[in-house]
Amino acid sequence: MEAPPVTVMPVTGGAINMMEYLLQGSVLDQALESLLHRLRGLCDNMEPETFTDHELVYLLKGQQGNPFILRARRSLSHPNAPWHLRYLGQPEVGDKSRHALVRNCVDVAASQSLPDFLNEMGFRMDHEFVASGHIFRKGAMKVVVSKVSRILVPGNTENTERMSLSYLVELSILAPAGQDTVSEDMRSFAEQLKPLIHLEKIDPSKQRH
Amino acid sequence: MGVTCVCQVPVAEGKSVQQTVDMLHKKLEQLGSVKQGSFCVDCETYHATGNVGQPSKLLYVMHNSETPLSCMSLFEGGPCLVADANFDALMSKLKSHFQNAKGHKVESRGSRYRYCDFLIKVGTVTMSSSARGISVEVEYCPCVVPGDCWNLMKEFMQSFLGTSVPELPSVFAAKPEGLFAAADCVDTMTQYLELFNKLRKLQIPGSNVR
Repeated sequence: MEAPPVTVMPVTGGAINMMEYLLQGSVLDQALESLLHRLRGLCDNMEPETFTDHELVYLLKGQQGNPFILRARRSLSHPNAPWHLRYLGQPEVGDKSRHALVRNCVDVAASQSLPDFLNEMGFRMDHEFVASGHIFRKGAMKVVVSKVSRILVPGNTENTERMSLSYLVELSILAPAGQDTVSEDMRSFAEQLKPLIHLEKIDPSKQRH
Repeated sequence: MGVTCVCQVPVAEGKSVQQTVDMLHKKLEQLGSVKQGSFCVDCETYHATGNVGQPSKLLYVMHNSETPLSCMSLFEGGPCLVADANFDALMSKLKSHFQNAKGHKVESRGSRYRYCDFLIKVGTVTMSSSARGISVEVEYCPCVVPGDCWNLMKEFMQSFLGTSVPELPSVFAAKPEGLFAAADCVDTMTQYLELFNKLRKLQIPGSNVR
């Protein structure tokens, strides 16, 4: 049993800042098959992967400013897999010619006690939903086609109701800060999906009422 | 990951912390243990800054070099979370809600010994660069059920700790299934946290600070 390496300086919070580059769009249910067919052709050759996830969005209200949002996601098809906790920062303002939405992203894998732990920290669940669909990869790019369903009884993921007659399509890449060339790759990929779907940069803050 | 027991060893009469640690190393080597690298267990404390007037909740974020990619977070007497190393990056984003009490960081560093199926870690516990005490962690690797191996572990600890052998850690007895529930890394970290908190409350020997 070899000793694991011990760093002299503990590594705390000095991790590389990862940014998520995102383009979003949607297709009506009737167009799903054509989209999946096109994606199977364009993306990496692999077994088609479907998923069913339950996501809970937690808020921590502070003394001032906007509440801190954390997204906790678990797989309903792999109940023993770890929870995926995600923090997404404010979209980076600035270069309007940048093709994708860019925001800071911290992803943490966590154990099954995550919901209780978040409650103890002071977070309260704001809303939850079930997302199910397909996932494709092309190099570092990830394409997720999902149907979002509302949960009717809190905590009961069996009883859900589809929120719309369409599928949400998200094209994203996780890259260290400063690598703006990735948004060019995303734009050219998005071009290949037109006119089936128009993937655009959608600013979430403009959606708030 | 086996069953671990973490205990405090008092500094020997008339000796310094370093001398007591050296004595323990010598006893382990006489038994036939082999030194295998070093270890480090650390604990950082965060205060929740939200509620004014209510006692601030303390969140402890701990790391163990035995599981270098993980990070264990605990509320004393409350739920605990095992997460990957990015949890530290998340805590730094939560700066305005959880403040890091930098002066309260405690760590235990020392040598790691292997004796057959046992792993023994003798560490010097320091807080703000001052040595506060000695921690000894004994892990019996082949077994995960404390009820099945506690007697063996106690006998082994007697061979080098003499009279400082601890009782069965309360963290095992406190579980609903008692001694027959599988032990995990959270039990180890809970024991280290209890030890660190005990040492944190002790005054620095020789100081007049009240």
